[in-house]
Amino acid sequence: MSDVLPPDVRDDDLPDTMAGEFALGLLDGDARAAATRRVLAEPGFAREVEAWRTHLAQLFDLWPEMPAPDLFARIERSLYGAPAPSVVALPARAPSKFWPSLAAFSSVAAAGLLVVLFTRPLPVPQPPVAPRVVVETSPTLVASITPTAKGTPVTVVYDARAGSLRLTEASLADAKRTAELWVIPAGGTPHSLGLLQTHGGTALTLDAANRARLAAGATLAVSLEPIGGSPTGLPTGPVVATGALSRV
Amino acid sequence: MIDSTPRASVNSAAGTPEAARLRLVETLVRTGEEDRAAFRDLYSLTSAKLFGICYRICGERQAAEDVLHDVYLTIWKRAGAYEPARASPITWLATIARNRAIDWQRAQTVRRASPIEDAPPILDTAPLASDVLLEAESTHQLHACLDSLEERQRAAIRTAFFDGVTYAELAEREAVPLGTMKSWVRRGLARLKACLEG
Repeated sequence: MSDVLPPDVRDDDLPDTMAGEFALGLLDGDARAAATRRVLAEPGFAREVEAWRTHLAQLFDLWPEMPAPDLFARIERSLYGAPAPSVVALPARAPSKFWPSLAAFSSVAAAGLLVVLFTRPLPVPQPPVAPRVVVETSPTLVASITPTAKGTPVTVVYDARAGSLRLTEASLADAKRTAELWVIPAGGTPHSLGLLQTHGGTALTLDAANRARLAAGATLAVSLEPIGGSPTGLPTGPVVATGALSRV
Repeated sequence: MIDSTPRASVNSAAGTPEAARLRLVETLVRTGEEDRAAFRDLYSLTSAKLFGICYRICGERQAAEDVLHDVYLTIWKRAGAYEPARASPITWLATIARNRAIDWQRAQTVRRASPIEDAPPILDTAPLASDVLLEAESTHQLHACLDSLEERQRAAIRTAFFDGVTYAELAEREAVPLGTMKSWVRRGLARLKACLEG
């Protein structure tokens, strides 16, 4: 039996395989942007992308392991050692779990450093990771994200100096899905800014790449994603609210 | 047909692949509860797998380390939302690693035209069920369907997945016109889809 398609089958006759191409990560530039728009606009296409990702995930079994460097102390410093954790709950919501256990963490970090000292041939202590503060000419941007269906608009305030984003309470998610916030730079593709709290407001501290994307004119969008957020790095669920960033 | 193994029946069977998988699920769930000791365990259990992914796609050790660092920050932040019923823990973690590595690779101005040489080779066939990270419910359907493709179609799809490359890079590596490469992949995907749905 031949593996080859009959020679008279032209590519034009092939079924639409864009979802598979997108899931594999083959597309770039305009094609990637077009596929992203289809993910946002066509639930069927989004489901197909998700199905491809699920199938392709079986290939992870074939990926060989490699001895990994011991980065754990560095990871801990980034998470708990920096002045502010990357994601914090708003004070109004609940006391953060980060601080009461600071003492416990110090011991853990010390233990981690000991491990590094005794397992690395040349222990080079890494300097604490300081958050990079981008100097902006306009430090505050605001947006009102309006739900596509009924619902209260969500107010977003972005402090560019601190790289922090605060959102008022959003009742966009349901029991089975998480609301995820995206920034879509003008003419660009969506990048995740983080997940919204189910109850109460949300505060997010952005990394340098996302800070660079937040500019007046950029679009903010909220999509509904599997619990835990989009597994793909791009929106996979319906967009339920959008709004544009503008200067105060 | 391989059915997923009921979890309750293997709770006491320490040392089995299912027990290892269950341990990984628990470790990830506890990480989601901001249990730092669990997070440390998660790192020791999974960093070799995730570093293999980052290294192959990034193509250089320093970048792979930086991406791995970011991957675990993401895992810490998102683990609270991991749902054991929806995905195996290693699939969930590996997807984050692959996506982060691809993001890094796409942000580079200079592209690799050839695969890195010192990464361990990708396995040709699915490992046996003794692989502790193997998804218990996996039916290996994808592997069987990939095997039914023409060699160049299969190779292109595998390279796209494991090396995280675009069409343009794929065509350059194989020294074929872009249109030819697209045709191979699209035909391969069409056949794969028919097989997976059949």
